[in-house]
Amino acid sequence: MLPSYLTMAAILFCIGLYGALVKRNAVIVLLSIELMLNAVNLNLVAFSKYGVVPSLTGQIFALFTITVAAAEAAVGVAVLIALFRARGTVNVDEFDEMRR
Amino acid sequence: MFNIDFNGEFAAFFIFSAIMIIGAVLMVSLQKVVHMVISMAGVFLGLAGMFVLLDAEFVAFVQVLIYAGAVSILMIFGIMMTNHRGAKADPVKPLHETLAAIAALCLFGILFYAIRTTDFPDAQPLQAVEDNTSSIGELLYTGYVVPFELLSVLLTVAFIGAIAIAKKGEE
Amino acid sequence: MDQFTQTAWLIPLFPFAAFLLLTALGRSYRRAGVMIGSVGALAALVMSLLVFFERLDPDAVDYSEGFNWITLGDYTLKIGFEVTNLNSLMLIIVTLVSFLVNVYSAGYMKKDERITVFYGYVALFTFAMLGLVLSDNMLVFYIFWELVGVCSFLLVGFWYAKPAARAAAKKAFIVTRIGDAGLLLGIIVLFWYMPGHALDFSSIHNVFSEGQSGAITMSITTSIALLLFMGVIGKSGQFPLHVWLPDAMEGPTPISALIHAATMVAAGVFLLARTFDIFEASAAAMHTVAYFGGFTAIFAAMVALAQNDIKRILAYSTISQLGYMVMAMGLGSMTGGIFHLFTHAFFKALLFLAAGSVIHAVHTQNIHEMGGLGSKMRITAWTFGIGALSLSGIPPFSGFWSKDAILASALDENPFLFVVGLAAAFCTALYMSRLFFIVFMGKSSVRQPREVRESSKSMTIPLLVLAVLSVGAGFVETPWNGWLGSWLTGGGEEVHASAAAIIASIAVGVLGIYVGWLMYGKGSIERGAAAAKAPWLANLLERQYYINEFYDLVIVRSVRGIGKSLAAFDEYVIGGAVRFFGFATVTGGRMLTRMNNGQTQVFGLTAVIGLLVIIAVIVGRRFW
Repeated sequence: MLPSYLTMAAILFCIGLYGALVKRNAVIVLLSIELMLNAVNLNLVAFSKYGVVPSLTGQIFALFTITVAAAEAAVGVAVLIALFRARGTVNVDEFDEMRR
Repeated sequence: MFNIDFNGEFAAFFIFSAIMIIGAVLMVSLQKVVHMVISMAGVFLGLAGMFVLLDAEFVAFVQVLIYAGAVSILMIFGIMMTNHRGAKADPVKPLHETLAAIAALCLFGILFYAIRTTDFPDAQPLQAVEDNTSSIGELLYTGYVVPFELLSVLLTVAFIGAIAIAKKGEE
Repeated sequence: MDQFTQTAWLIPLFPFAAFLLLTALGRSYRRAGVMIGSVGALAALVMSLLVFFERLDPDAVDYSEGFNWITLGDYTLKIGFEVTNLNSLMLIIVTLVSFLVNVYSAGYMKKDERITVFYGYVALFTFAMLGLVLSDNMLVFYIFWELVGVCSFLLVGFWYAKPAARAAAKKAFIVTRIGDAGLLLGIIVLFWYMPGHALDFSSIHNVFSEGQSGAITMSITTSIALLLFMGVIGKSGQFPLHVWLPDAMEGPTPISALIHAATMVAAGVFLLARTFDIFEASAAAMHTVAYFGGFTAIFAAMVALAQNDIKRILAYSTISQLGYMVMAMGLGSMTGGIFHLFTHAFFKALLFLAAGSVIHAVHTQNIHEMGGLGSKMRITAWTFGIGALSLSGIPPFSGFWSKDAILASALDENPFLFVVGLAAAFCTALYMSRLFFIVFMGKSSVRQPREVRESSKSMTIPLLVLAVLSVGAGFVETPWNGWLGSWLTGGGEEVHASAAAIIASIAVGVLGIYVGWLMYGKGSIERGAAAAKAPWLANLLERQYYINEFYDLVIVRSVRGIGKSLAAFDEYVIGGAVRFFGFATVTGGRMLTRMNNGQTQVFGLTAVIGLLVIIAVIVGRRFW
C-alpha cells in the first residue's frame, strides 16, 4: 500500500505547486501551499505505518507540521490583510517590489 | 506493485483519494474564491479519512479540527476581508500557465518514477495500538517535550504577531 | 699590449651615453646638446683610433669577449664583441664620419628647434652601427641591424611635418624590412644547420672555410647565402630593393651623409664581408651577388644621369657605388669591396656634406636653380670637386684606387662584369661632371644671388678633413702595394693588378669628364642632344625606370587589395559574428530583464524549472 499513498501525496503536491505558481489571488496561493504541506503530512503518516522502521514518530512530526502550518496560515492571512490595506489588492502579480 | 487485493482498506483508500483529487482539481480550476476554499475543505476531510486508514486517529482528529475547521474558516475570513471589489477575471498568461503545468507534470513524473522504481522492503506494518492518542501524548511529553514546548512558543509568537500585523494598519 | 682592444666594448657606449643624456636633457639645452653629441662621437673616434693602431701590429690576434645571455638546455646564447682588423677599420669609418657629421650638423641644423632630438638620434644611430660592427655573433648582429633600421626611420622622417618625409621614412623602413625578413630566415637556417647551433662569426668562419667539410650541404649553404644576401639587398640598396634610398633624401642632409657613407648602407656590405666565408663556399651565391652588384652599378649610374635633384643624383650614385662593392664581393675580392667602402665613405660623405652646404646656401635642391656657385663658395666647390674626381675614379684620388682594385679583379674573374663596371664608371664620371659644371660653373640661375655665401666654419672644416682623406685614403692599397688586402685577410688574397685595368679605368673616367665638360661646361654639345635622340630613354631614366610605378602597380596595389579584402572579411564576417553575439547577448539580457519582473510566481516557476534541470542532470547520468 505504501506506493499508493506516496503517489497520492505526489499528486497532491504537484497540484498544490501548480496552484501556488499560477493563481492570482494570494489567499488561494496560501491554500495551495497548505495543500503541499498536507501532501507532506500524508507521506509522514504513511511512512509511520509502512516504513522500514514503523513508529509513531511520523505521526508526531505530522502534528508538528500541522501546528507550524496553522501558524503560517494565521501570519499569512494577517500579512494579506495588511497588504490589502496598503495596496487595495491581493493579486500576487501586482506586487513587484522585488524587482528593485 | 499496484496489484493489491481488493479489500476494505483499498476501497476506502480509493474513495478518499477520489475525493481529494477531485477537491484539489476543483480548487485549482474553480472561478469563485469561496468555492475554492470549500473544495479545499473537502480535500482536508479526505485526508483526515486517509489518516484514519493509516491508524493515525489522533492526527486525523487534529486535521479535521485545525485544517477543515480553523484554517478553512481563517481563509474564508481572509477572503471576505480582502475581496471588496469583487472578483475580476484573471488576465490570461498562457506562457506562464503552460510552463507551470509542464513543470508540475515533470515533477510528478520524476516523483512517480522514483516511487515506482524504489524497492520498498516489506516490513511489518505498525500494529494499531489500542489508544493512539495516549501513546502520542506519552511520546510528546517524554521524548519530544523540548520541541513541543518550542512549538508552543512559536504558536504564541505567531498569533501575537498576526494580530499585531493585522491591527497595525487601522491606526 | 691589448688593453684598448679589450675595452673596445666601450666604443659604442659613448654614443649611447650621449643618446641617453640628450634624451634626458630635453630640447632646451641646445648648445649643450650639440656638445654632448659631438663629445660622445669624438670619444668613440679616439677609442677607435687607439684600437686601430693596436690592430696595425701584424701579430695582433682577433680578440673576442662576451658573457652568457640565455641558456636553454645545452645551448647557450652569448652576447659579446669581437675585434678583428675588418672591425677596427669599420670602427674608424663609422666614428670618423659620425663625428664629422656631428660637427657639421652644429652649423647645418642650427636653426632647427629639435636639434637636440636630432643629435640624440644621430648618437643612437652611431651606437647601433658600432654595436653591429663589434658584435660577435649573428643574433646580436641582427639586433643591431634592426636598430640601425629604426634609427634610419627616425632620421629620414625627422621632419615629419612634411608628408614626403613621412612617406619616405615609412618606405625606407618597410622596404628594408623585406630584406630583413630574408636575413632573419637566413640566420634561422644557419642556426638550424650549424654544428652546435653556433652563431658566432668565428665558428661560421671555421665551418665554412674548410671547404665543404660535409657539415653543411651545398644547397643549404647556397640558400643561407642567398637569404643573407636578401638582407644586404634591402640594407645596401641593391636592385630591386633600392627604391627607399633615393626617397631617404627627405631626411636632413647630414643624415644622408651618415646613411650613405658610414652607417645604414655600409651595414649590408659589412654583412657580406663578415659572412664572406659562407658566400665563398657557394659559387652560385657568389655569381648571384656579383651579377646583382654589377647590374645595380650600371642601372643606378644611368638613372643618375637624368636626375635634377642634387641629393637624388648623389643617392643614385651611392646605389651605383654600392653595386660596385657588392660586385667586388661577388667576384671574390673582399678587399676590393671593403676598400671601396672605405674610400667611398669619405668621398661620399664629403659630397653629401658639400651638397648640404650648397642647399643651405641656396635653399633648393634642383641643380638647374643653382649654377655659378664656384666663385661664391670656394671651399665647398673645391672640396666637392675633389669628391667628384675621387668618385669619378681619377688618379690619384682615393676612388680611383679602390675602383681600380674592383675592376682589376673583375677583369681577372669575369670580363663581362668588367665591361659593365667600365660602363658604370663612364656614367659615373659623366653625371658627376654634369653635376659639378651645372652647380658650380657657368651662369648663375639662383633666385637671390646676394644671399649666397660660404657656409660657416663648423660646416667647412669637416669638408676639408674629408677632402684630405678622399685624396689620401686610397694609398693604403695600390696595385703595387697590397697592404690593406694582406692586413684584412691575413695575406690570403692575391693582389689583382693589371695595367689594362688601370688604363681602361683612367681612360673611361677622363672620357666621361671630358664629355661632361663638353656638354655642360663648354656647351659645344647641345645639352638636350642625347635626350632628343632617344626621348624614351631620357624619360625612362628620369622616371627611374618606372620602378616605383611598377611596384605601386604590382605590389602595393595587390597588397592593398588583399588588405582591403581582409579588412572586408574582418568587417563583415568577424565583425558580423562579434556584432551578432553582442546582439544576442543584449537581446537575451533584455528577455531576462523582462522575466525578472519582481513577481514571486515567476521566481517560483524559475526555481522549480531550475530544480527540474538539476534533477535531470543528476538522475540523467544513470541513463548514459
